[in-house]
Amino acid sequence: MLQFKLVLLGDSSVGKSSIVHRFVKDSFDEYRESTIGAAFLSQTIKLSEEYDEQVLKFEIWDTAGQERYKSLAPMYYRNANAALVVYDVTEPDSLPKAKLWVDELKEKVNDDKLIICLVGNKLDLVSERESTSLVDEADAREFAQENNLLFHQVSAKTGENVIKVFQDIGERLYLQNKDKIQESKKPNNNNISLQRPSTNDSQSCCS
Amino acid sequence: MDADDDKGFNASPETISEKPLADVGENLDEKNNYYDFQAFLKIMRDPKADPIVKHTKSFIRNFVSQRENWTTSEQEKLINDFKVFIYDKLLTNEAFRDLSDAQIKNAKEGIEKLVMGKLYYKCFSPCLVNEKRSSDATHEQDLLDDAKLRDKILEFRFLGPEHLDIIPDLINGKLHSFIALSAKELAKINQYRSPRDKMVCVLNSCKVLFGLLKHNNKLNGGADHFVPLLIFTLLKSDVPHLISNVRYIERFRFPSFLMGENAYYLSTLQGAVNFILDMDIDSISILETDKDFNKKYSQNQEEIKDLKKQELLNPKDSSTKFPHRTVSPSPSEYILKPLDDAANSVLTKLNDFWNTSTSPTPSSPEYEDRSPRDHQEIDEHTATVLAQQMEHKEQENTLQTLQLMFPDLDPDLIRDVCIASKYRVGVCVDSLLEMAE
Ligand SMILES: Nc1nc2c(ncn2[C@@H]2O[C@H](COP(=O)(O)OP(=O)(O)O)[C@@H](O)[C@H]2O)c(=O)[nH]1
Ligand SMILES: [Mg+2]
Repeated sequence: MLQFKLVLLGDSSVGKSSIVHRFVKDSFDEYRESTIGAAFLSQTIKLSEEYDEQVLKFEIWDTAGQERYKSLAPMYYRNANAALVVYDVTEPDSLPKAKLWVDELKEKVNDDKLIICLVGNKLDLVSERESTSLVDEADAREFAQENNLLFHQVSAKTGENVIKVFQDIGERLYLQNKDKIQESKKPNNNNISLQRPSTNDSQSCCS
Repeated sequence: MDADDDKGFNASPETISEKPLADVGENLDEKNNYYDFQAFLKIMRDPKADPIVKHTKSFIRNFVSQRENWTTSEQEKLINDFKVFIYDKLLTNEAFRDLSDAQIKNAKEGIEKLVMGKLYYKCFSPCLVNEKRSSDATHEQDLLDDAKLRDKILEFRFLGPEHLDIIPDLINGKLHSFIALSAKELAKINQYRSPRDKMVCVLNSCKVLFGLLKHNNKLNGGADHFVPLLIFTLLKSDVPHLISNVRYIERFRFPSFLMGENAYYLSTLQGAVNFILDMDIDSISILETDKDFNKKYSQNQEEIKDLKKQELLNPKDSSTKFPHRTVSPSPSEYILKPLDDAANSVLTKLNDFWNTSTSPTPSSPEYEDRSPRDHQEIDEHTATVLAQQMEHKEQENTLQTLQLMFPDLDPDLIRDVCIASKYRVGVCVDSLLEMAE
């Protein structure tokens, strides 16, 4: 099974946990695994025919959103394959913070293969609010484009677009790793992980 | 059900607590979690497994004899390379090649446990410090960091849950007993040598914290709630050489076994440790809101002074409570303590297989003097009795803690629950929480 590590970043209360719970709840649970607690979750998805109906597993790493625990983040995003950077469309302050996370990822992870998806959450509240109190969608979209990010607006509450986010990331990951995936389809090769660099040198200490 | 159930003790943390992943939900992928060390040893005794046994012995012999002081990264590479090599050999070996995927994975686990059991005294930094010859700067660094963490924990041990953003809903009578139990599970990390067994201790400790969140209906808060609880646990804990242990798991757990949930909780623990290492009095935001903070801080400083004075006067006592950089535990203390080998009667049966020529026999006289009970020399009966005694004591401890945590429940009822769930802490906590509600 193909496994990918996805890390959640964003301010407290923007809805990171809610998005993941919605994703897990709305996904087909054929492959659901039990986990110790709600900070680490894994969920499997199946891509469309266009992508060979490939099945992949997301290992979703939640981070603490509180400002004081920001320093723990590098422990979480190292070796990540994808990052979901979430802001709250009803909290204008949360977009600049999301942008800072993107900058940090670009600087610290510095891996062209890292897939970053900018996600505006709480879309269901948009109609109730004055547009002046909302995050400017064009601003977010532009930032995403400039930085080569995926971009989605979702509602964890209604479920709108949530699965799409993960499908989109999954498709990118699929394209990125097509070669390895083909190889894994050969017999005797059913557990490929792309998470960690493996050491494969020859045996040096044994005779 | 799980593989260990009817085998009495298996000398892994599961037996005294529980399987980290099992028992949690219904859709458990049992095959992935199959783990049975004794089954592995049985296969190793099959003559067809000889090549595997020979390679393993020779690797251990070379590792021990070729050089006195490997650096930690050299050790990590040598051991990992050996695992890659031998895991590949398993697939063509007559005794192993026809086994199921789950059994092969179990064999890989078994080899890691065997090898690290043998090389523990060469690889776990606290074991090396007294043997000056074989310690080097990289291992010494682990010890320095252990001491630094210990000092930070002492300095900030008086902090309350409110200082760490633990939400008010969680601050109630149960908090402290759960934190204490979690810290206790974590402290068991020093009782085991195999990286897997140490990892299970970390998972069990986290699991108790999730028990607390569940109890308060706060399971959905994810890392926001969990991280502060883990940091709080560390500040209230008493786990000698935590950093050495964490690094040992990182270095010697085979990378593909250290994935998913395991990696998540190990990273969170590392993050929590780093957070504490970086704490300093000026950066604690609470200073303005807690008027008594300065008073508490200076009072604690006084207590630390007293404690350190006592340690100097009475180093033996303090080393078991809080190891200090000037009081390093003797290597034999760490070699004898682990339950896993000493308690494993099957392993001791295999003494012929690990005969003395291949086994690490440290030449330091101090080591020999202090190790009348080196597991090489324990006969099977003694090992069994020893293991049973340890297990019994452990169970009594668990029972007492749970009785303290659930004062409203009938103590006999708690005992029944413990017996029914084989003293697995996580399962017991879950059932008792339900009853208490
Ligand atoms: N209306 C609305 N509320 C949401 C949505 N997503 C999350 N919330 C609420 O926002 C609050 C914070 O959500 P949470 O998932 O805990 O945020 P986190 O701190 O980023 O993990 C909770 O009260 C959620 O119920 C959404 O899509 N719509
Ligand atoms: Mg959250």
